[in-house]
Amino acid sequence: MGFDNLLVGSNISASGLSAERLRMEVIANNVANAMATRTPGGGGAFRRQEVLFEAILNDQAGPGESPGLGGVRVVGVVDDPTELPRIHDPGHPDADAEGFVTVPNVFLPIEMVNLMTASRAYEANMKVLQNLRQQLEQTLTLLRY
Amino acid sequence: MNPTGAAKTMNLSTQRMEFLSRLLDVATLRHDVIAQNVANVNTPGYETLEVSFEEALQEALGNDALLDASRATPKVIPGAGGVERSDGNNVDIDLEIGRLHKNSLYFKVYTQLLATELAQFRSAIAGR
Repeated sequence: MGFDNLLVGSNISASGLSAERLRMEVIANNVANAMATRTPGGGGAFRRQEVLFEAILNDQAGPGESPGLGGVRVVGVVDDPTELPRIHDPGHPDADAEGFVTVPNVFLPIEMVNLMTASRAYEANMKVLQNLRQQLEQTLTLLRY
Repeated sequence: MNPTGAAKTMNLSTQRMEFLSRLLDVATLRHDVIAQNVANVNTPGYETLEVSFEEALQEALGNDALLDASRATPKVIPGAGGVERSDGNNVDIDLEIGRLHKNSLYFKVYTQLLATELAQFRSAIAGR
């Protein structure tokens, strides 16, 4: 039972923590820009973003062996391609000829639910990591006496 | 040369320690698999993984009184997931945390049993 074996778990949990934290940052950005009708560079309204997760399974193991577990990886942060809603607001500086303003496709209830999911996942990863630390400390007690 | 009574006992102790060490390895692997499942709880299309060992162990032990677990190898296989959600993920986080605590307990038991074995060794060496 080598040390490397025991530390694999911490890499996996750390990747989970990192991925969920990034997800929460992206959600925070979406919420902050929920009414941003302009983007830098003369772009149109803000488009909400999502993170793409991918499981890391190292294929170094031979046939019949357990796959190397590597946790999770964020493949990228992508724009949500759904159509941007239009609100009728003729007085708005960015209203078009018909008096409609194109606003971001951010819906707060969806963002809040995603935030709760990410939050809970973050806590769960934290719990797994703390658990691992306890186990490592127990193994160290074998060296005592 | 036939081993005397004391030497025979020493053999069994080493086997018990090997066996416990093996079980500890499996518990560590199990923790890693649980960690993998929890880290991927929001990954689309991810299927829950589990460790299959107890049945292989049962087979390897059979009616053999000697604890030779070397023939049983733990395998990481898909399974033990919950209901598949709309993003294709079937990790049930509550089940995973439950498994985490259970595995933790087993780990503690194995460690303490191993500590007892080592203590016996030490007192045998010290001659007390």
